[in-house]
Amino acid sequence: MQTDRRQPPDNHPKMYEETGCFDPNSMAEGGDDGISQSVKHHKEDDAAVSAIELELQKHLAFNVEDTHTQSISINSNTHSIHDPANQNHQILPPYEHSHSNWDSGVVSADHMGGFDQNENDQSQQSFINTDISSSFAQSQTPPLLNLLQFPRCTTSSMLPPNSSISFTNPDHHFPVPPPTSTDVLYDPLFHLNLPPQPQPPLFRELFQSIPHGYSFPASASRAAANSLFGEIGDERDATGAFYEDGDVGVHLDNRVLEFSRDLGCIGRRRETAGKPTKHFATERQRREQLNGKFKALKDLVPNPTKNDRASVVGDAIEYIKELLRTVNELKLLVEKKRCVRERRKRHRTEDDDEGMKPLVDPADQSYNSSLRSSWLQRKSKDTEVDVRIIDDEVTIKLVQRKKIDCLLFVSRVLDELQLDLHHVAGGHIGDYYSFLFNTKIYEGSSVYAGSIANKLIEVMDKQYAAVPPTSCAY
Amino acid sequence: MEFVGSASTQSCITQKRGRRVYGDDRDFKSKNLTAERRRREKLSNRLLTLRSLVPIITNMNKATIVEDAITYIEKLQMTVKVLSDQLLEMESSSEESERPRNDEINAAEEMKKHGIEEKVEVTNVDGCKLWIRIISEKKRSRITKFLEAMASHGFELSDTNVTTFKGATLISSCLNGVYSYKIEAEQVKELLQEIIKSI
Repeated sequence: MQTDRRQPPDNHPKMYEETGCFDPNSMAEGGDDGISQSVKHHKEDDAAVSAIELELQKHLAFNVEDTHTQSISINSNTHSIHDPANQNHQILPPYEHSHSNWDSGVVSADHMGGFDQNENDQSQQSFINTDISSSFAQSQTPPLLNLLQFPRCTTSSMLPPNSSISFTNPDHHFPVPPPTSTDVLYDPLFHLNLPPQPQPPLFRELFQSIPHGYSFPASASRAAANSLFGEIGDERDATGAFYEDGDVGVHLDNRVLEFSRDLGCIGRRRETAGKPTKHFATERQRREQLNGKFKALKDLVPNPTKNDRASVVGDAIEYIKELLRTVNELKLLVEKKRCVRERRKRHRTEDDDEGMKPLVDPADQSYNSSLRSSWLQRKSKDTEVDVRIIDDEVTIKLVQRKKIDCLLFVSRVLDELQLDLHHVAGGHIGDYYSFLFNTKIYEGSSVYAGSIANKLIEVMDKQYAAVPPTSCAY
Repeated sequence: MEFVGSASTQSCITQKRGRRVYGDDRDFKSKNLTAERRRREKLSNRLLTLRSLVPIITNMNKATIVEDAITYIEKLQMTVKVLSDQLLEMESSSEESERPRNDEINAAEEMKKHGIEEKVEVTNVDGCKLWIRIISEKKRSRITKFLEAMASHGFELSDTNVTTFKGATLISSCLNGVYSYKIEAEQVKELLQEIIKSI
């Protein structure tokens, strides 16, 4: 069947999910499904196709047509894996690892289609898998994706037609039992007894650590997030999702195989039948991705309160404001310090010249004229700290579960931080101590709100840990 | 297809609770609709606020707002780290300030000027509780040392208040002995006077 949504030629291999309706002919068309362009030009496409079918029947991924092993690998974007010379049975451990996980869940047919990058393939191995992945990996993978080490199961394009190919979660289904008769889910890597890959959690971390600044393609990230949860028998139809986001031009999208949860099976190619399922799958993935983002936001904020979306956003707002205040405060402090240094230097060099002093002071004034102000709150399990700074006065509110003699410790900490205690008020309130400290910063000290709060929390927590949890002597 | 069906049902449920038809659909739908609408509005307002804070925004949909916020927060955190490291470095390489000495000298003078005298008062309150009041010259770290001395003698201080005025520090507190024997006010007074002199 025609895979209608074949990717635009060349460097935009898109979704590999389109595999369902893999169209062998399209290969001939030069499917760019992530296969390096060379595939297109491969004259042996037909051979490849037939080989694929052969493979399918055999449930073996191995006989990748050597023909197919193209030349693809020769691409510059190279992985050493593609080195035809040696790679036959050596799978680069990292790649293997990175890909094998995926591959385990992948229809063997994939591997089939997979390009054995080595020309001489005798790959009876999962080598194919790695090749496949690597082929994708190398060819137009932007460096970032390489970094991500997504196993590129690009082979979607290579999947045989009408196989309802299920991509299984490599983590959970290793090896993958073939869901249907037509599906080829045999994991060619299985026999290698590869250790289970820690990929899925890695994905999540990677996903979360991905710099979002460059408009990470939604689909790709979704794929990343979702791929972890792919189920057996899911059809890959997530292509809808990809296309929805319209990140066509971005390489990244295409590199990540998106596993659809949708059992509807039909490949993206079959738009008609797939419409409702496609839409649904997209929506679900979109939601999951969104949830992932909210979670990431929550993890960034220091004192997360509730777990619902509105509070997460509210906390994020407060945190951003706090960060801005801190940045301003720090900038001011750095400026002040620099200017004090300058002044000292000048004094040292111009000791004799009394006349210079007055000149220096006005310059100083301009730097110090802006009032330093800052405020932040920190919470820990038993302690809450609120620090406000205006100019050189620091007001600290402390609420602490009644367990230790906090006054003493706080007082010590304040001394360390070079804060002059002027006023203390507070006492017991129910289960808690509540105190208010008014302090002044000694000249020359450059503490900032964050450091005060953090130090206090740290000391308090340490003390709590040190006290045996029994007696409340009061 | 069943799978799909159920999944879509589920999606229906999660997304639009009101749509699901139950027995008493009318009530259910309307009651939830309002609440749901309010919830959504609250979230959307907050998202707008978030967007207004973040300077670099790409697209204007929910997902990208959150993404951009994440990026921005990380960027700010990095800036904070850089600046604070810089500050630390400057701090360590700079010279010690001589100011504190001046403050202390001033404190003594201030006290004299205003006629405040150093004093220690102790009163018995309710059995083994004592109320103490100390006026002393303000010195750097004096309060800490006082508190440490108290702790080492086994006194527990509750309801402590400290205030500073014109170079003098006033400490008033309620003292409980840890060892609950009756403490003589006079003894404590002398003890305190010694302590104050020593710190």
